[in-house]
Amino acid sequence: MIAVRRSSISALQLAVLASAALILLPLGYVTTLALSADPAVWQRLWATRVPELLLNTVSLAGAVALLTLVLGVPTAWMVTRIEFPGRRLWEVALVLPLAMPTYVLAYVYNYLLGFGGPVEQLWQLVAGPQARIFSPQSFWGVTLVMALDTFPFVYLLTRSALLSFNGSFEEVARTCGASRLRTMLSVTLPLLRPSIVAGVALVVLYVVSDFGAVSLLRYQTLTYAVFQQMTGRSDNQAASILSILLVVLALLFLLAERWFRRKSRFYQTTGHYRAPQRIQRGWLHTGLLTVCLATVVGLAFGIPTSLLVMWSLSQEAQAILDTRFFGFVWNSALLSSLAATAAVLVGLPLAYLASRKPTWLNLGCLQAAYAGYVLPGPVAALAVLVLFLKIMPFFYGTVLVLVVAYVLHFLPAGLQSLEPSIQQITPNLEEVARTLGLGVQETWRRVTLPLIRNGVIVAWVLIFLQTMKELPATLLLRPVGFDTLAIRVWLEASEEYYQLAAPSALLIVLVGLPALLLLLSRDWRAA
Amino acid sequence: MVHSPSHTAHTDTNPPDSQVDLYGPTSSILELRSVSCAYDLSRPAIRNISFSIREGEILCLLGPSGCGKTTILRAIAGFEPVRSGQIFLSDRLVSSCAETVPTEERRVGMVFQEYALFPHLRVADNIAFGLHQLSRAERTSRVQEMLQLTGLEGLERRYPHELSGGQQQRVALSRALVQNPVLLLLDEPFSNLDPDMASRMRQDLHALLHRTKTTTILVTHDHDEAFAMADRIAVLNCGEIEQLDSPELIYHLPATWFVADFVGQADFITGQIQQGVVRTELGAFPNTIDGIEGAHVVVMIRPDDIHLIPNKSAEPRIVARQFRGSENLYTVQLPSGQVVHGSESSTSVYHEGTAVELRVSATHTVLFSAEPPPCS
Repeated sequence: MIAVRRSSISALQLAVLASAALILLPLGYVTTLALSADPAVWQRLWATRVPELLLNTVSLAGAVALLTLVLGVPTAWMVTRIEFPGRRLWEVALVLPLAMPTYVLAYVYNYLLGFGGPVEQLWQLVAGPQARIFSPQSFWGVTLVMALDTFPFVYLLTRSALLSFNGSFEEVARTCGASRLRTMLSVTLPLLRPSIVAGVALVVLYVVSDFGAVSLLRYQTLTYAVFQQMTGRSDNQAASILSILLVVLALLFLLAERWFRRKSRFYQTTGHYRAPQRIQRGWLHTGLLTVCLATVVGLAFGIPTSLLVMWSLSQEAQAILDTRFFGFVWNSALLSSLAATAAVLVGLPLAYLASRKPTWLNLGCLQAAYAGYVLPGPVAALAVLVLFLKIMPFFYGTVLVLVVAYVLHFLPAGLQSLEPSIQQITPNLEEVARTLGLGVQETWRRVTLPLIRNGVIVAWVLIFLQTMKELPATLLLRPVGFDTLAIRVWLEASEEYYQLAAPSALLIVLVGLPALLLLLSRDWRAA
Repeated sequence: MVHSPSHTAHTDTNPPDSQVDLYGPTSSILELRSVSCAYDLSRPAIRNISFSIREGEILCLLGPSGCGKTTILRAIAGFEPVRSGQIFLSDRLVSSCAETVPTEERRVGMVFQEYALFPHLRVADNIAFGLHQLSRAERTSRVQEMLQLTGLEGLERRYPHELSGGQQQRVALSRALVQNPVLLLLDEPFSNLDPDMASRMRQDLHALLHRTKTTTILVTHDHDEAFAMADRIAVLNCGEIEQLDSPELIYHLPATWFVADFVGQADFITGQIQQGVVRTELGAFPNTIDGIEGAHVVVMIRPDDIHLIPNKSAEPRIVARQFRGSENLYTVQLPSGQVVHGSESSTSVYHEGTAVELRVSATHTVLFSAEPPPCS
């Protein structure tokens, strides 16, 4: 009995170490590659590209963060604190933009705001035939697209904080003589701050690692530059230097957010709690609120989706709905299933051992798995690519390389639902099964697995959907001629074939919708 | 437990003017005139609530959960709109169905059940929260004064999560008292403390409120707490006041069946009016409610009114004994099957099955009509 136990634990231990190695090796190799580069390469990059790229990336992140605050916080306030007809509907609708990958939104706005596009024509009706609007392929264009796409992160986190907000804090402030405004500024907002900051941190990480929108709108950021170095110049060394910079930048953002959150950990309300009352509003306010919310949801989801539907129904688009198109669908589904299954298989032992045997080794392995959190798609692709070229070149150009890159990239997302579901089961349940005569494996099969099943399913679905949308790693590592839906959207949109890109884009958006239900039901403060 | 007014001495509880007269012409700090609050499924409704409170008085709203006592408190604070009736604070109309003066203009202090200390502010800043109109120096001195009064010196730099439950409660109290409120509202202030701490805090708070002559309304579901703290108690049930009296009268002369049952252990012995007296299994009682001949009534008897004398020829039998430290509570079965309770000092111990004779020595006889009507 004891022997069985020992051998199975050590098998698990081996699996965990292997998983950690799978993640750490590519990263280590990229770092070595960057650090072993000729100082002249560093100097050249530093003198030519780096300052501009850093400035572009940081200013974009800042501008998008500000705009998402403006979009996310007030909308969350409206749907949680005011009662008006349609409130429940808007509460869900405000999450919809997350189903839209950035490259889809970017390509729609490239058309809408583009030269001679519908918005410009409207504007010329008002301001005269020579009037121009800002180009979508500019700082402001990218900022608008990224903010419309990512504000739901801020919205979701602010909303859940507002829903769990203890109304007594506001009421006691009123009994201390504070007006509504002062209560909001000195009590409500400070208490919401940790959640708002966590939302903005997600937005910033998303923006910094985004490839789709910046590549379609031709805006130079670090992530885009890594991609260009790999494809245009085939200079993996320069690409790894830029990657390291990018990872350091993302880590800095992340650490700043962690530091901020640690400082305010005690903000959690405890004990008895009274939900704040919603303010009842009349028809005038309902009208105003509806216009506000409809504008936001319309710009971020309604108008783009309607355009996609319209384009998909056009004759050009109908013409490409042939067996080739279904081949792309099959490729996408196959890749996503492989990646999701592999990531869950890699993630389960990691999360399980870190929770049941929290030694420094196991916890270290788990933390290593979270490294993918700060790895933008092109960097993950680069890391896996250079490693495979070095040690197993015969796998280059196969699906295996791609799946490894996906696991590296999306494992953190999976772990975020695996870890809590394992932590929620008390070890007593497994121990009581052992006292009832079940072996280790039997216990796993009959007790542990059924209990964590939901967490595993959620992790699988999330990774599946993320892989479905993934663009840069797929572009860089796919076998020749192996196109997915995301690739088709990007390729057609790059050539401004709006109609041809629409069916694939629409399909990606529709498939992404169920994931939003998961997002709405999950506690976002845990993220 | 949810019995409702079964009438009898109801009339002298309600119009509060009779109470005010008792204490001579003092200005009332707060007056509620037949206040009702809108019905909302999540919050208990209150109907036709009237009472007033004198300066420096501690009034306790006592009742089971869901009886509307917190709703009354929130209506006074201005959080709950009033559907009908008026609320006057310092002779100013603050709530009516037409208008509600905002909470911040009412000058009421409030201590919430969970204290609601601002977690992002230190103790000193929590207490100074309502003093923003004062100069910095004045603010500091007021806070210091308050810290001394509540015994919190040395804790002013702490954050709320670094305090014990009792300390948190005192900070919440300081924050409410520092603005010299006209009226202090306490919502179940001791429910988050363990029993030992609660009884100590109760004594401290009582002394502090008397020293500062703070007019206070305290909400609780615990009758011991109400007895210990209050000058007057209003017992609430199903959104209405059943009785408003001193703690002693509430205990000894409950106006309704519900009040009798809620404020302490009581037995209800059935009886019938015959020849001007109430005949029961435990003997005859005076007919204090002028019931008509032949009517069925119940007599309320508290355990401390019953004395047990072992007597082999007596029919009642002890069926259970519960040791309570200072006393023993005996459950006694009468020949008819009716069960009554009697308490004896804990030094005399009778075993189960002992035949006992019962002596009832009530100073007041409390009678109710036979059946408690169900809660409306």
